[in-house]
Amino acid sequence: MDTVALLLTLRLALVTTGILLVLAVPLAYWLAFTGSRAKVFVQAVCALPIVLPPTVLGFYLLVALGPRTAFGRVLTHLLGHPLAFSFAGLVVGSVIYSLPFAVQPLAAGFAAVDRSMLDAAATLGSGRCDRMLRVVLPLSRGSLVTASVLSFAHTIGEFGVVLMIGGNLPGATRTLSIALYDQVQDFQYAQANRTALFLLGICLVALMLLYSQRPARNARSGDLV
Amino acid sequence: MSDTPSPNPPSTPWLTMHIEHRFHHGGAGFHLHLAFAAHAQRTVVFGPSGSGKSSLLRAIAGLLKPDVATIELHGTIVCNTMHGSQPRIFLPAEKRRVGLVMQDPAVFPHLTAAGNVAFALRGTERSAQKEKIARLLEVVEAETLAARWPRQLSGGQLQRVAIARTLAANPSILLLDEPFAALDAPSRQRISQNLHQWARQRGIPVLTVTHNLEEAFTAGDEVLTMEDGRITAQGAPEQVLSQERERLLQMLGAVPSS
Repeated sequence: MDTVALLLTLRLALVTTGILLVLAVPLAYWLAFTGSRAKVFVQAVCALPIVLPPTVLGFYLLVALGPRTAFGRVLTHLLGHPLAFSFAGLVVGSVIYSLPFAVQPLAAGFAAVDRSMLDAAATLGSGRCDRMLRVVLPLSRGSLVTASVLSFAHTIGEFGVVLMIGGNLPGATRTLSIALYDQVQDFQYAQANRTALFLLGICLVALMLLYSQRPARNARSGDLV
Repeated sequence: MSDTPSPNPPSTPWLTMHIEHRFHHGGAGFHLHLAFAAHAQRTVVFGPSGSGKSSLLRAIAGLLKPDVATIELHGTIVCNTMHGSQPRIFLPAEKRRVGLVMQDPAVFPHLTAAGNVAFALRGTERSAQKEKIARLLEVVEAETLAARWPRQLSGGQLQRVAIARTLAANPSILLLDEPFAALDAPSRQRISQNLHQWARQRGIPVLTVTHNLEEAFTAGDEVLTMEDGRITAQGAPEQVLSQERERLLQMLGAVPSS
């Protein structure tokens, strides 16, 4: 097995999951409680990566991060190197690609928190952020686990975006799923089999972890059916 | 908090309000339309279920944004939707210092009874917090429940914890929405007494909502009757509730019907 690719994949999945949780918690909180008309649009944009061919996403990211756009040029200037074909570029792509897998379970979990709990907290002097930290998050722990596991597993399994934005640079952007593709191209079926089995195992264990969660004391929210 | 209202002497109204609100659930809809001022230390709003009592409390607490409203607590406008020279104001619930005990106690399931009370004691020193929690649980006769989780408590015990938690937030007024419904008669009386005593000592006015005639008689210095989203009478309990009392006595066959 390609250990360099394995370590890179795990690092990518961990970093992506961490960033996703930081971004998705406030976003999902807004989605769960807003009355804004922009909600439907934001919801649709967040869900796009589920239905969009990964190559489309990868293509636009490649263009956006490259020298063709002002944004890409500024970014390249600031970093000293282009974001595409680097690990950081992979992280950006993975975060966008796995966003719905973090936002959706969290938003569902937050929305399922009993409104009377939030009303009670408000009359006790607890403001918006405080309610999120001290009431909503503890009551939707299950959704946090779901969001983390799904983001992690989904990042491990991504292929199209990673290939488009990262190329296939050993040690920098070659993840396990790309290594598997290379192995098959080179007719190294025994190696390919080991890589494929390993990926299969990780995903299976992740999903078993998800389904073995004890239902939370109160919030039965954010569970997958 | 320096910008929060402080209790006034009972002669000036602690609450002045005018609200109009239309609920659009179902086909018929429901119209809340009322105006009144509350002066008494203990005020009761008496009316049948569905007359809009809970919505009235939610509007005062800031959990309901009425279509049209002016609400003044201890001389401070907390909600004003009127056009004209006055600016629009809507102070959110967390800034109103209104203690609200709802029918649904909504005790946080991820915290113990003591943890629930401590939720409202943020910023208090740890040692002082412990003492305060014990004192507040004593008011509702729940001192032995401190370490219990909500799932281990009965409906009546949950209501007691909810009351203690509300007191912990140091409210400037107390709104009670049938808070003793799940308690047996003797504890209801004792805890109600403790609670009113606690409030009186601190000069905190109490507004109780009930459809229980006995509670309306005992928990109010002044009574408002409510029907179909409107206030139908306001005054001393004997005066306002006499008709209701006679009707009940007739139903029991105690006095011959005229």
